[in-house]
Amino acid sequence: MQRDWHDIAGGGALAALGIGVAAHAGLTHDLGTLRQMGPGFFPVLLGALLAGLGLVIALPAWRRQGTARAFAGREALAVLAAIVVFGVFMTRLGLIPTTALAVLIAATPAPRAGWRWRLVLATAVSLLTWAVFILALKMTIPVWPWSR
Amino acid sequence: MTTWDGLVHGLGTALQPSILIYSLFGVFLGTFVGVLPGIGAMAAISLLLPLTYYISAEAALVMLAGVYYGSQYGGSVASILLRLPGTPQSAVTTLDGYPMARQGRAGVALFTAMVSSFSGSILGIGVLVMLAGWLSGLATRFGAAEYTAMMVLGLVAAATVGSERPAKSLAMVVTGLILGTVGTDVTSGAQRFTFGQAELMDGINLVALAMGLFGVAEVIANIRTADTHGRPDRVSLRQMMPRAADLRAMPGPILRGTTLGSFFGALPGTGSTISSFLSYALERRVARRPERFGNGAIQGIAGPESANNAAAITAFVPTLTLGIPGDPIMALMLGALVIHGIQPGPMMLEARPEMFWGLVVSFGIGNLFLLILNLPLIGIWVSMLRIPFRWLYPAIIVFVCLGVYSVRGSSFDLIAVAVIGGLGYLLALAAFSPALLLLGFVLGPLIETNLRRAMLISRGDPMVFLERPIAAGFVLATAALIALSVIGAVRRRAARAGQTPAPPGDGAD
Repeated sequence: MQRDWHDIAGGGALAALGIGVAAHAGLTHDLGTLRQMGPGFFPVLLGALLAGLGLVIALPAWRRQGTARAFAGREALAVLAAIVVFGVFMTRLGLIPTTALAVLIAATPAPRAGWRWRLVLATAVSLLTWAVFILALKMTIPVWPWSR
Repeated sequence: MTTWDGLVHGLGTALQPSILIYSLFGVFLGTFVGVLPGIGAMAAISLLLPLTYYISAEAALVMLAGVYYGSQYGGSVASILLRLPGTPQSAVTTLDGYPMARQGRAGVALFTAMVSSFSGSILGIGVLVMLAGWLSGLATRFGAAEYTAMMVLGLVAAATVGSERPAKSLAMVVTGLILGTVGTDVTSGAQRFTFGQAELMDGINLVALAMGLFGVAEVIANIRTADTHGRPDRVSLRQMMPRAADLRAMPGPILRGTTLGSFFGALPGTGSTISSFLSYALERRVARRPERFGNGAIQGIAGPESANNAAAITAFVPTLTLGIPGDPIMALMLGALVIHGIQPGPMMLEARPEMFWGLVVSFGIGNLFLLILNLPLIGIWVSMLRIPFRWLYPAIIVFVCLGVYSVRGSSFDLIAVAVIGGLGYLLALAAFSPALLLLGFVLGPLIETNLRRAMLISRGDPMVFLERPIAAGFVLATAALIALSVIGAVRRRAARAGQTPAPPGDGAD
């Protein structure tokens, strides 16, 4: 049987998060009293609540049929990689090379073959960001690797 | 200050060129993202949040509000022409808008949507003014216990009303509340969940969270599917001319829709999506020929479109008068105000009248912009539907990156956006609502502060929530909502158990 794996995994992960939050807050922070609540009180309460809700989601899903939804792994990888690359290289390479690089990485999984339109897009978006953020908003960020 | 003085005062604020430009920019961008299926108002508002650091609080709120109601106008375009709701609020419009488009009456359907949206907004502004004065008077009697109980009610209502899986919605709210505790505890100064990272001492950055959950996650989910829809037919201004019978059919549904929308918009937890569905159901109930619904009934567009716009306006009532956002979009608006160091509340009408009345007037001006812009520009909006998503999304990602980077030039924030975006995509894939997570995140610190204060005042006696009548009312309403959703869940399970063997694909709810 195809179980409802989305709910089992989602509910299970949330239950684990709830237990972790409650345990961490309970061990490291003072719970206080009802009158004078300490910093641990609210997180422990919420963690316990989330653990309960996670179980309510995950347990019935074990006995239920579910439909799998397509996982856009390639798309997720490309988009997240583009953001990380942008974060790492922005201060080193400057605005225009970083933007072009991020666009090329993000556009990799697009449902159309060919590199020419990707290069045109990278150039266009780089010019657009330069126009918006440097010309119009006058942000003080390096534009080229040598303009620092 | 009387209403009349206020409006004159507000006109002075709203007619400043800088405010007018941001209003125009907001409604234009809002219509644009509303037209495009795949990115919604949440993503657009998140994307613009960093810009609000550079402009005044009034201009920021006017712009973000413009994006919100502009997206409602735009959302109906894709709904009518392609049967693809551009925004969740306009999903109902597909039911009768698309059949009208198939009958060659797309122009009339668009005209109806725009006029109804405009009427709903303008009447909603009237309700906003009345309710805000009344509620801010009432709210001066609210103490910490009332605030706590009302915020909990708002969260529970947002998670349970109209939700098919209330447990999943509530889990998202609680996750948001937990994320809201990250950082320095304001009462004791303790560092909670920072794990030694200095970047986390001020808490999780709202801009990074909103961009990751909405901008990034929505892009990932839409790359593969966004360009599979068909091409829309062209629509000209002349085709939008309604017949006399069409015009006669509109005022009734608009008035009923506005009434519904104004009411549910102002209630915390329920909002424009629910209003539009309720309005559609109501119109079908009161119609003399209900069989026409679903086959191009003009009432099925006029009612819901006026309802969702009226609700979008009155949703500002609890945000501005109590400082409590009733839905995730209002949570972002509140975030924008907090960025400027403004904590809205009952005193705002008195302390910053220029802000409140300026907003009210510019809502009216923004809607006028929309009507004037959209009638002649309809051809442009329709042609926007022809832009392939593969050209747009890399640009969106770069704007997300630059927006986050511009806040404090931190690579840490960008990596946070990537992590949040990945998790947000997984949540959306498993049908958990990231919007509710954001609502919990914004309300979390407010709830904790008020809860602690209430318990300190009552000397640790939790009965304070039942002894004070207003707070008790909120607590009872919360309990009723939870009870109703438990009953609903048990019924659904019984219904599922009854129909064995289950047909394939039935278990997804």
